[in-house]
Amino acid sequence: MSLTFSLAHLMGGIILLCAFLQLSQRRLAAMVTLYQLEALVLAAAAFWQGYAQHEINLYLTGLITFALKAMLLPWGLREIVQRFNMVRAVETALPMAAAMILGLALIGIAVLVVLPVTMHAISLTREDLAIALSVVLLGLLLMIVRRNALAQIIGFLSMENGLVLAAIGMPGMPFVAEFSVALLVLLAFLVVGVFLLRIREHFDTLDISGLEDIERRGR
Amino acid sequence: MNFAALAIALPFLAASLLGLAGTPRQGAVANAAACAVLLVLTLAVFWGHGAGLVAADPLGALFGVLTGFIGFTASLVNIGYVSADAARMPTQRWRLYHALFQIVLGASLLGLYADNIGLLWAAMEGGTIAMTLGVSLYRTKRGLEAAWKYFILGGVGIGLALFGTMLVYLAAQPALGAGFAAMSFAALSAHAAQMDGALLTLAFLFILFGYGTKAALVPLHGWLPDAYAEGPAPLTTALSGPLINVALLAILRFRHLLEANPVAMRPGPFLLSLGLASLFLAAFSFSRRRDARRFFGFSSIEQSGISAFAFGIGGPAAIFGGLLHMVLHTLLKSGLFLALIRAASLRGPASPGNYTFSHLRGLLRANKYVAWLLAGCIFALTGLPPSGLFVSEFIIISQTIQRNPYMSLPLGLGLLLCAVAILRNIGPLLFAPAAHEKPKPAGRGMWLVAAHLVLVFLLAFATPGPLVHLLSRAAEALQ
Repeated sequence: MSLTFSLAHLMGGIILLCAFLQLSQRRLAAMVTLYQLEALVLAAAAFWQGYAQHEINLYLTGLITFALKAMLLPWGLREIVQRFNMVRAVETALPMAAAMILGLALIGIAVLVVLPVTMHAISLTREDLAIALSVVLLGLLLMIVRRNALAQIIGFLSMENGLVLAAIGMPGMPFVAEFSVALLVLLAFLVVGVFLLRIREHFDTLDISGLEDIERRGR
Repeated sequence: MNFAALAIALPFLAASLLGLAGTPRQGAVANAAACAVLLVLTLAVFWGHGAGLVAADPLGALFGVLTGFIGFTASLVNIGYVSADAARMPTQRWRLYHALFQIVLGASLLGLYADNIGLLWAAMEGGTIAMTLGVSLYRTKRGLEAAWKYFILGGVGIGLALFGTMLVYLAAQPALGAGFAAMSFAALSAHAAQMDGALLTLAFLFILFGYGTKAALVPLHGWLPDAYAEGPAPLTTALSGPLINVALLAILRFRHLLEANPVAMRPGPFLLSLGLASLFLAAFSFSRRRDARRFFGFSSIEQSGISAFAFGIGGPAAIFGGLLHMVLHTLLKSGLFLALIRAASLRGPASPGNYTFSHLRGLLRANKYVAWLLAGCIFALTGLPPSGLFVSEFIIISQTIQRNPYMSLPLGLGLLLCAVAILRNIGPLLFAPAAHEKPKPAGRGMWLVAAHLVLVFLLAFATPGPLVHLLSRAAEALQ
């Protein structure tokens, strides 16, 4: 039992660390690599939970996560970075240090919110949930502090990893594999959308400040 | 027989066929035929509501019929729209358009009929993806911007809602244990008192902000006016009402779990503040809108806010008022957009730019019938009698005075400001001197708009007994 705990927490910790480190990266390629590591660990965590809970569904979730999120999506993202020549650092809306301090504060909030309200839940779920909420909030923060469309997608992907982390920690929850597939469809549309529609052509540099055009015209 | 599952399956089946074959016009006609069958099926749900994962309660069945009706009328008007606009997109994209039309309907019905919080979430997710693709269909720069905004905001909302859904499941563990029971609305509301109250509060916050994004409650409304203004109008405007209803009903159902739990926080203040914020933001945003679809988009935000406010007041009568308001407003707004689509096409091809108020001025010269119908719909939107919305707003206000008197002042002020801002537009729209033009025929399908208007009037002032019975039973169960 104690091995179940410590391994699950170790993997949750690595995922949280990856999500946090993404805040400190200016280059898209580095963010993609961190995302890939995050997804790999998530797949391992899903397998481990499947083994601990004796749930075939979780093995399936782990397999999907490994094949699509840890392999296919990073490959697609790297392809976009290469093809649109976006190897340079991307613009940030906040100074790096400020973003990281905010990130720390969010992790603190997540822990302070989740741990007291889950007193009655079993402790594996408790701490997993706190980590998952931190990852979700960090993903949201990443979407806010990056001006680049692709960086926003990576933030979204990271947030979604947090959601799956929460789902695999729920005791005996139905539909976990289905949830991860449904989320994946959403992600695939995002990535393929950027790739095929070449938002670049319309937004020039994939910089979403072009959205302000709508604001100027007074909605 | 499980008609609910059939009614959900039909649109997805039709979507796969419509997406593969047919010219735009054939697609539009087939689409209308599928919608007609769907309307019959949604009516049949009352007699075969199903069991298990897809089990429609009377409230879901009622809103299902509403969705079916709106899908049917929109698909009829859509035939004219496609014929006039066929050259705008290649055939393949028209096929995609008709498939999306069906998918949005199917997702709305799934969200209404599902007795499972996971399926509800999946329905909202599917609806979001389909709507985003719809908004981006014209591939214009502004359309892509609007779609991107929708995708990012909607995606974040969907993510938060999933987290909330999982927390509700966890909160139900002490009462219902692992498995499907802890995700069923019926089981959850029967055992709400034994759920983990603190966790439920946390879950509701995520649900409120997640589904609140889809219901376009301020401050999560940013996507709606843009999404309305871009893309093919029948899909992005007329069909968005049912999706908003799914989100509002979800919020109402989760709110009930909190009310029935002795430990959880009271949800009223959250809903009241979001509702009032929506009302006032809309009131102050009306004045500078030049595009009619954006203008009425803000009106949808306002009406969504009024319903959320009613749910926040609480008690069976206020919730009755909120539900009636949702029914009437959805009918009225889709009728209004159908009239608006026709009005815009009277002034040339229905390209996105042609919905500006300056372009629509002096409609009376183009066609009297369409102009008066549109004016009637806009007037009804203000909630002044004899509009049907007057009844539901009256119920909500009188309940507010009874239960939470201090809140009635801002509510009344907001409603008044909105009504004035909307009324200001009717005069120029009808009577402004326009360039000399030949009157054009009203086109087919305008009787449908009249039907919408008459229905709104009748449902409000001569509400049929069974409807009152159904709504009050539902409101009592969800108070």
